[in-house]
Amino acid sequence: MAEARYYDIRHVSGQVTHIDIDNGVIESAGTSFFDKAVVRALGETGWGVIAIDNFSGRSQAVIETVLQDALRLARATEEKVSLADAPSRILPVPAPALDPRDVSLEEKQAMLAGIEAAAKVPGVTSTRGRYTEEINSVRFEDASGHEYTYEITRCGFSVLAVARKGGFLQMGRESEHTIRGLNLAHREEMGRTAGERAVALLDAATVRGGTMDAVLDPELAGVFAHEAIGHASEGDIIKEGGSVIGGRIGEQIGNAVLTIVDDPTMPEFGFEPVDAEGVAVARTEIIKNGVLTSFLHNRETLAAVGGGAAGHARGVAGDPPIVRMSNTFIENGDATADEVIEACGTGILLRGSRGGQVDPGRGVFQFNAEYGYLVRDGELRDLVRDVSLTGEILATLHTIELCADDRRMHQGFCGKSGQSVPVSDGSPHVLLRSAVVGGHGAA
Amino acid sequence: MQLEIAPLVDAILRAGEKAADEVEVYYAESRSVGVDLKRTIIGEAHETRARGIMIRTVADGHIGTSSTDDPARWQACLDAALASGRLATAQEWHGLPGPARLPGEVPVFDPAVVPGVEAARRLAADLLLGAAEHDAGVIGGSASLSLSESVLANSSGVYYTRQKTGVGASLEAIRGTSTGYEFDRSCFLDIDAVDIGRSAAFLACHSANGKDVATGSFAVILSPVALAQLIGHVVVPALSGRNVHAGRSWLAGKIGEQCMGEVLSLYDDPHTRGLGSTLWDAEGMPARRIDFVEHGVLCGFAYDLKTAYRYGEESTASAVRSGPGGSPGIGMHNLVVDGPRGTVDEERAIWVHDLVGAHTANPVTGDFSVELSNPSWKEGGAFGEPIRSAMLAGNLFDMLAAIEVLGEVPRIIGTVILPPVRFNNQQIIGK
Repeated sequence: MAEARYYDIRHVSGQVTHIDIDNGVIESAGTSFFDKAVVRALGETGWGVIAIDNFSGRSQAVIETVLQDALRLARATEEKVSLADAPSRILPVPAPALDPRDVSLEEKQAMLAGIEAAAKVPGVTSTRGRYTEEINSVRFEDASGHEYTYEITRCGFSVLAVARKGGFLQMGRESEHTIRGLNLAHREEMGRTAGERAVALLDAATVRGGTMDAVLDPELAGVFAHEAIGHASEGDIIKEGGSVIGGRIGEQIGNAVLTIVDDPTMPEFGFEPVDAEGVAVARTEIIKNGVLTSFLHNRETLAAVGGGAAGHARGVAGDPPIVRMSNTFIENGDATADEVIEACGTGILLRGSRGGQVDPGRGVFQFNAEYGYLVRDGELRDLVRDVSLTGEILATLHTIELCADDRRMHQGFCGKSGQSVPVSDGSPHVLLRSAVVGGHGAA
Repeated sequence: MQLEIAPLVDAILRAGEKAADEVEVYYAESRSVGVDLKRTIIGEAHETRARGIMIRTVADGHIGTSSTDDPARWQACLDAALASGRLATAQEWHGLPGPARLPGEVPVFDPAVVPGVEAARRLAADLLLGAAEHDAGVIGGSASLSLSESVLANSSGVYYTRQKTGVGASLEAIRGTSTGYEFDRSCFLDIDAVDIGRSAAFLACHSANGKDVATGSFAVILSPVALAQLIGHVVVPALSGRNVHAGRSWLAGKIGEQCMGEVLSLYDDPHTRGLGSTLWDAEGMPARRIDFVEHGVLCGFAYDLKTAYRYGEESTASAVRSGPGGSPGIGMHNLVVDGPRGTVDEERAIWVHDLVGAHTANPVTGDFSVELSNPSWKEGGAFGEPIRSAMLAGNLFDMLAAIEVLGEVPRIIGTVILPPVRFNNQQIIGK
């Protein structure tokens, strides 16, 4: 390996178990297996990367050959890549309260069936419950002699209810995913919540889109933190000139009440004991009191851009590591949730999330609430459905005027470059002045 | 192929038949090579070598599945499939298909596509050549080529093999804070990387200095890229027989009704040129054209064997590898959006290249409100003044019921083939 300036091998093997219960019928349930590795080599210029499956038990000679193949690929690159030095160490993976492997698939199925059945409240015509469990055994080694192995189990469930009135349908959905062990026991109330929401939305109004003051609940404000600022702060996007916050470290880009953090050490769904380049993970304050403080980096983007810390590289099994968020949240303020709604006066409260998307180069984001309430004179009024929110990152960060003290985290999956990684987002209730709310109704 | 596949598949079938009534094996092997542009230079070259086995067993109506990427572990995978079947609720089942005479070939293999770093570099160079025609910066891009080989076999005697190639390229450009993204994908070496680069850079340049638009009702032209996303999130699930019978489809119970505009027909054509072209579906059923909507009238839904047997319907050979671990589920091969063609951009309208957040559309109701990418006025067939920022809010089913006209030139976007489409009186939320 005389030619390689650096190499690393990240080998992930494991299994995925799923249960899918559809209107009381066990559609499918079972386990699949995977075993993949990514070998990266840095030649004189840039990266050669080889993804290969069935890596377990490969001989040293085979591994050498794959490394040489990666180096050969690297010769096709033109960019002179440098890697910043970064501390390397691993955190213990929090022990699950109840290891899902200690519970039989039949028992999990029975618990999921209970949650799914609970969603069938009067008015609900269709229900579906899904459970997933993924066990990853990770082994990392690099040219500097760092070696780590760990195992992490992620599991969780979702429940969907569809209610019908005549030809009119509405849906309600609840989900919870975790690294802290099996979470299926005694969760029937989440099924009921999904069912009751679907029924309630049958009578909800649609909003007439326009500019108004908006309160975001912890789930949706977490998605705001993720979409509006998290992606735009990713070092690879900054490096290629694709983010509106590039070059703005030290600038006041948001209201002073606003602090936004990405923290892979938090024992939440986006937890990583060590990043995918063997770098120690740490809490990174992206925005502190409204001032842009740090970008999220891997070793390459830290060297190229500066301003922030490495330790944010993540990769799914069989895909190369790229800069990703982990657990991203808006820090608590000192108001209560009621005070935030009261301060809104007349506007809208948006709750839950159907996801979102950002164009970081243009600085424009969009996300969709599951439902909401019109707010009049500081009080919640009519239930509304199908409301979304868009905005320009740089303008919107200044319009967050008030943060409550009730931060909660929600779990999800974030897609980038074809890779979907587990993340969590969170926030307290926050107040946005003059938000652009989308809807196509008359209310 | 590197491995002796036929003996491996045969061994799995023989072992499976001892423990179950029927067995199905899908084996796929692929290699892809690509390069990534970081701004205007190549920062990374990558190669992926992947293999996978997917086993499905049926015993007394209990369907089990499992998959592995380690062919040596096929016995554990078979055991897992059998265990999976014991958990699943038993259902009506009348057998896997036997072999059929499947004449001809579908256009999914191009011998000119040879995965290699030099070929990928040439595509990347073409992307940059095109982008240089406009005064925009390049954020990044990618170019890749792939070759895959697969076998589908079952205990009823099906043994189908296929070679498939793929070429893809994309480029993202920026001017100030105006971005432009274009891409294309084909089974053939026929994508025009120069044009992809040129289009992305044009979009970034054209959208710079956009003007505000007032909130109101306007004619809107959705490009194939924009409309394919909404159709994929809303219409495709609504056409799935499983969702229909599960009570999750807005189209349920509407067969024979005028659900969409008279100018609109929707059908799956697995034999036409597209990314999902095939002679057989993921369960080995002979693939054929399926008409879902004819002149706006709903005439059918998509079924795989499992859903068809359960509800007394016929399989439409609509199984694709969309289930857990790559198991068969209902999907589309090449969903064609068709109808009489006309001019979409003669009269003044807001043209929309792409949508930000199309996946947040409500899949059950079709309601959505999304931000527009590269919106611009268009009139007399030409681009007019760009629009800085706007949202489109509506209901996709309502929109499809009131289509104004379908444009001339169709484009392949994933498993949907569609032209640009003009809709009148759409709600735009301006800034």
